[in-house]
Amino acid sequence: MRRNLKNLFCLLLGLCLTVGFAVGTFGQVKPPKVLKDPKPKIYPVPPGHETPGFLDGDGETSEKSTMVDASVAITLCVAQGDLRINGWHRNEVRVFVKNGRQFKMKPREKSPETGKVNWLWIGNVVEGRPAPLAQCLAGEHIEIDAPVGSTFDLEAAAARTSVDSVKKIKVKTRTGIISLRNIPGGIDAYTAQGDVIVENSGGAIEIESTTGNIVAVEVSSGQIGDLFSARTNSGTISLQRVDHRQIKASSISGSLLFDGKFLEGGIYTFRTSNGSIMLAIPAISSCTFTTTYGEGAFHSEIPLKTVTENITPRAKIVVSRLGKGDATVNLTTSNGSIGIRKQASP
Amino acid sequence: MNGKCFEIGAIQAFLDGETTPDMSLQLTDHVAGCDNCARLMADADEQNAVVFSTLERELNTLVPTQRLWSRINETIEVEKSRMPIWQKALVYVRVALANPSLAAAAGILLVLGMFAVFVAVRDGRDTSTTVAENTRPNAAGQPVRNETVNVETTGGDPAIPSTASVAPSARTSNLKDPELRALAASVKANQREIQPRTADYRPAYRTPSADTYLEGEEGYIKTISDLKQNVDTQKDAVMTPSSRVSYERDMAVVNDSIKRMREVVKKNPRNQAARQVLYSSYQDKIDLLNSVAQREELMASLR
Repeated sequence: MRRNLKNLFCLLLGLCLTVGFAVGTFGQVKPPKVLKDPKPKIYPVPPGHETPGFLDGDGETSEKSTMVDASVAITLCVAQGDLRINGWHRNEVRVFVKNGRQFKMKPREKSPETGKVNWLWIGNVVEGRPAPLAQCLAGEHIEIDAPVGSTFDLEAAAARTSVDSVKKIKVKTRTGIISLRNIPGGIDAYTAQGDVIVENSGGAIEIESTTGNIVAVEVSSGQIGDLFSARTNSGTISLQRVDHRQIKASSISGSLLFDGKFLEGGIYTFRTSNGSIMLAIPAISSCTFTTTYGEGAFHSEIPLKTVTENITPRAKIVVSRLGKGDATVNLTTSNGSIGIRKQASP
Repeated sequence: MNGKCFEIGAIQAFLDGETTPDMSLQLTDHVAGCDNCARLMADADEQNAVVFSTLERELNTLVPTQRLWSRINETIEVEKSRMPIWQKALVYVRVALANPSLAAAAGILLVLGMFAVFVAVRDGRDTSTTVAENTRPNAAGQPVRNETVNVETTGGDPAIPSTASVAPSARTSNLKDPELRALAASVKANQREIQPRTADYRPAYRTPSADTYLEGEEGYIKTISDLKQNVDTQKDAVMTPSSRVSYERDMAVVNDSIKRMREVVKKNPRNQAARQVLYSSYQDKIDLLNSVAQREELMASLR
């Protein structure tokens, strides 16, 4: 007991001393703080305009042309504007820009056989422009005429792109519709925001849109094994008369529509998460359907022969055959429905 | 043999060590004076030797003998006797505080610590930083005026201005003319790259531990985890609001599908249909994340 009292006394004594020390410290008058002179930071003002835009004050209408090889490869990027590319039967490239940046056509390589330019770059004329997308063309309207055998590699920020009658194209746009016609040598098209429309074209085709729809009409493969691939997150994929033997189409919240025929030995994969899959095929077809679906439904206007069936309350797999079952068709949806109907007679 | 002789089963149990200590004592006492039981025990022991030598491994692992139980009980007792660290620490503190000088020192340290924390917090409120002085040419290309703007910040690296500190709390103490103050603020906003320092607390993407993976989904989940880490840091920069809405909606659709199918597969791992839909949903999720990565790549190439 006595020892405890002694401990308590020591503890209280220590606390009192510390509190006294703290009070003494606070009680002192602080010397006024001497504010240092602020050290200035000087930001150099960039030359030219304060807020450089796409056109950067050029705003001119200009036209240039150059002789090229018949199978020239053309590289360009577009910052802004409506872009139209047309193929013609002349070994010449003509570029017309309305109310836009000045531009130049720079040969990058010449053909050793013909001596003509077979790789051409089209871009902004001003080197070191402090504008966004400095090397890109910009204007209200941009028109390019190129040989029908030309190949394009195009990147665009915000452009409505329309391409007709060239051999092959690779196009990537951040925003804008892409419309492609009469391109027999293959297409690689991507838009982050916008629709993609492909007509009368061929070859290996890869189309991707993040939020837009994809439409492909009258498309055929150039070589055996050419793949047709279409992918979108939120849009609908519509395929009409697509004659590739390998087709892959997938959407997450959009639907898939296929109107065409399944070729012998072909592999067709259609997948959607929250949309429906609708196929319109000839009643006389030869294909094997593997239909996998979650909480949706599967119905067919054409009588199918069921091969195997695995039906559970939340998911089903039905394998069914039409004709000899030559083509393989995989249909998968998590929440949507799957339907097969007879193709309308022409 | 007399009426008190033990059955062969009891002898066998004794040899196996499965009898109680009292029983063992009785048996050994009896066997010491009974030739029959001694012979029985010798035979049983011999048989045991043969059997145990051939089946030693299986018997040792599969038969819970009395020895094993004894060992388990002993282990439990030892574990019980082990005291947790915090209890040991508590005992140590109690002993230490019994010493008057140590108790006083601890009290002083405690109060000093509180005092130091108080002073540190008080000083942190007084931090002020000078940010910028701008020179702006007029129409003739001549500099107009140099002005200094003091901006209060709430601590942290002044080289990276915070969005909260720049706009509303700009204390333009050195500027008297309101027009000049507005001018300085606009120049500052134009010429400085304001980097937002808003705290970005994101919950870590939780992946199921290895034992919770369903069959075949581990690869998908790891891929998704890698992609998601990349996408989460970039999606605010690369996506427009409308794209972001679409992305989040699609992600919600896919996640919902995954969740539902995962439950079904978990309940019935043999449900191949649900498994296929689950894999398909995982693939959708990978595609969705890939689309953001692709957009990021395009943005970078068009800069």
